[in-house]
Amino acid sequence: MRIGIDVGGTHTDIVLLEGDDVLIAHKSLTTADVTTGVKNVLAHVRDNGVEMHEVDAVMIGTTQFTNAVIERRELSTVAAIRLGLPSGRGMPPKLGWPSEISAALGSTDFMLHGGYLYDGKKLSDIDDAEIDKVIADLKSKDIQSVAITSAFSPMNSDPENYVAQRISAEVPNIALTLSHRIGRVGLLERENAALLNAALLSFADRVVNAFAEAVAEFGLSCPVFISQNDGTLMESQFVREFPALTFSSGPTNSLRGAARLTGFDEAIVVDIGGTTSDIGVLRGGFPRESNMVVEVGGVRTNFRMPDVQAIGLGGGSLVEDDGKSIGPKSVGHNLVRDGLVFGGNMLTATDIVVAAGLAEVGDKSKVTELPQSTIENGLSTIRQILEDGIRMMKPNSDPLPVILVGGGAILAPKEMAHVSEIHAPTNSGVANAIGAAIALIGGEAERFIDYSNTPRQDALSEVKSAAESVAVSAGADPGKLRTIDIEETAIPYMDEGATRVRVKVVGDVAKLASGREVN
Amino acid sequence: MQLTIDMLADLSAGAAFLATGGGGDPHLTYLSACEGLKAYGPATMIAPQDLDDDALVVALGAVGAPTTSLELLPSIDESIEVLSAYKKLTGRKVDAVVSFEIGGGNSLIPIVAAAANNIPVIDGDGMGRALPEATMMTYAIAGIQPTPAVALDYAGNTQLIEAETTEAYEQIIREFSMQRGGMALSAEFQMTGRQMKECIVPNTVSLSIELGKILRSRQGTADQLAEQIASVFEPSIYGEFRQLFTGIVSDMSTSVVGGYDVGRATIAPLIEGTPSLIIDIKNEYLTAKLDGRLLASVPDLICILDSETAEPINAERLRYGQRVSVFAVGCPDHYRSEQALKVVSPRSFGFDFDYTPIEDIPAN
Repeated sequence: MRIGIDVGGTHTDIVLLEGDDVLIAHKSLTTADVTTGVKNVLAHVRDNGVEMHEVDAVMIGTTQFTNAVIERRELSTVAAIRLGLPSGRGMPPKLGWPSEISAALGSTDFMLHGGYLYDGKKLSDIDDAEIDKVIADLKSKDIQSVAITSAFSPMNSDPENYVAQRISAEVPNIALTLSHRIGRVGLLERENAALLNAALLSFADRVVNAFAEAVAEFGLSCPVFISQNDGTLMESQFVREFPALTFSSGPTNSLRGAARLTGFDEAIVVDIGGTTSDIGVLRGGFPRESNMVVEVGGVRTNFRMPDVQAIGLGGGSLVEDDGKSIGPKSVGHNLVRDGLVFGGNMLTATDIVVAAGLAEVGDKSKVTELPQSTIENGLSTIRQILEDGIRMMKPNSDPLPVILVGGGAILAPKEMAHVSEIHAPTNSGVANAIGAAIALIGGEAERFIDYSNTPRQDALSEVKSAAESVAVSAGADPGKLRTIDIEETAIPYMDEGATRVRVKVVGDVAKLASGREVN
Repeated sequence: MQLTIDMLADLSAGAAFLATGGGGDPHLTYLSACEGLKAYGPATMIAPQDLDDDALVVALGAVGAPTTSLELLPSIDESIEVLSAYKKLTGRKVDAVVSFEIGGGNSLIPIVAAAANNIPVIDGDGMGRALPEATMMTYAIAGIQPTPAVALDYAGNTQLIEAETTEAYEQIIREFSMQRGGMALSAEFQMTGRQMKECIVPNTVSLSIELGKILRSRQGTADQLAEQIASVFEPSIYGEFRQLFTGIVSDMSTSVVGGYDVGRATIAPLIEGTPSLIIDIKNEYLTAKLDGRLLASVPDLICILDSETAEPINAERLRYGQRVSVFAVGCPDHYRSEQALKVVSPRSFGFDFDYTPIEDIPAN
């Protein structure tokens, strides 16, 4: 048995899974301290007679860190240290960031000499006097977190490591994020990723402590995993160092949960919430990934993330102009207070479908006065918005099944253009938690290979099998491995053809019931 | 016409389209140009015919392997420094600057130098797209000498270059760039207003701004925007515009060989069982073949956009799993002469076939 928990902005959901069977599914409100919400859902499972010591693993998906960046809260001030001068003069860290988030991280930025060139030569020598000044400044400013980025650190991380050692030696309690551990080639995007990660470290400690406390209180002694944005799991301790790797694990889990609930591997998933609908695409049971440069809270990063489009339609969307205009303004989670059917005085998308007799929510008698024209226009506007959104995301002109998840699924019509069939699976409200519970074990391998000696296809197979054995030894089912990323970086200072090859594979957790392969 | 900061995003997006996969990451040059105009104010842009016949114009830009610029960041003053070094080392005066390549970041580089020196930048360039070598510029094809030229590295080191031929100049500047981190700035191909008017590909900066506006409108997917994009090219010096393919990148490999990114991308179709599109790349996207049949080749333009966002994707950003739309655009007449095809035909890139203008290739 395994437990999947999804800690969202509004709801904390839990599922208990035995193999593919959902034994328990439950929703509760997220609490300000997070811990209480997690304890509430765990209590629900225990109170249903589950022997907690029989649980083999707990998988937690959380949007806490993404939301913190988007809402600019819980962010620590961070000193940015970049080693790359004399290149990039006049191009300081956080260039192009939205002003509120760059203000949240503060303006302690250092541009130092150091780093490497593409050919393995030094870009410039590290200047210890510059580092002395940085250290003095860090001490005087009481900064808790530092992000260090040097030019070409994915190929040679010595400058980052050196500066990290010097800072640790003299400012022992400072948290460090080294860019080569979190991002790839592309200095600005990697630096941005490292900065966001550094800003989240103290919040990560609180979140992981909260999870650990909740889990321990219920006598769960099994491993606790947290899901990452690529749909694989990391040990919860790892999150203390790399919270940014959880970005967008929410949509990934929602999409994977929807695939598992319906058995569809190729489908459009529409997650309708209170304010927006998130539309994603399943290909082979996995989310279609977005382009390399992905913005998180308006900041460019180079994480790999699912391609999810948010459109401004949700259960709380405001209806205007006799139903001809709906959203993007919304009463959001205040729907249960402000919507007409809940006794409020705002006309929302939910009121339209209730008035049309398509859903039973709240008090239908509150919407009997609504003009027929408003209802008809409203239904047609809702349908138009959803159809447009789906058409934008569809991979081709063939009709695809649509899977509806989320609390606002009642808004969707029974039929839509470009759609072969519409499914609103049971338990769709807890798709995220199911996605977390079925998340995968990843395996990664990296080799330096000379293509002039080893043909490329052979080289790729070699690295792929190495990645597969890593995944299998971490507990993945060898029969169900899938390559999710192949990265090749030329190493020009070696002989021509020398290439750094990185392959990432994922697989389902094998024989989960025994509980022993998971660690 | 004043070029202001708010126009740079459109220019940069349009230039990324015309980069045909090369030209480096336009985002970095874009950020750097924004910081530059913030510091020095807007630049004045004039049409080629508005420059005096006797005025002296010099071409500015960056030379190198695009992959390196992802890590070796540009500095905001580098175009100003290379122009100052040019004036100092050659003793020549400069009345206006021009881009040598509209495709990618090189479209933006002369603008900051123009703003800081209070001289105009010309609306046009020496390629109408992106191409890897100086010999391929319309300036060189028209017989303009590239030297004296000045090269500047990331650390501010300069070198005055005198060369007998454009080929020799190309080797020297390329060598300088590879030795100095993979990217260098250059001031080269000085010409009179009269000479410039005869060989420049005109109005490409303003066309890029117009094109970029459409790409950035977020009014639809790349395929949905095709008609609007066509309406920019069809009445222009480019003419033909075609939608070639929509699919998913299924294989991609690049490496730096002799200063160039070389490689091949395979784009799998959305409908299984139909053939994949093969794109050959040498810095830029050079040929597009489907089932062995040529759909387009250099010097015509092959452009790859992210299908959802309509954002142009450079060769170094093209990755496994991306969903892309592929387009082709006819090249300006500058590249269709016998003289020009000696340096920009498929054969001059090592392919074993001649150039067939896109309008002579049957559409699907």
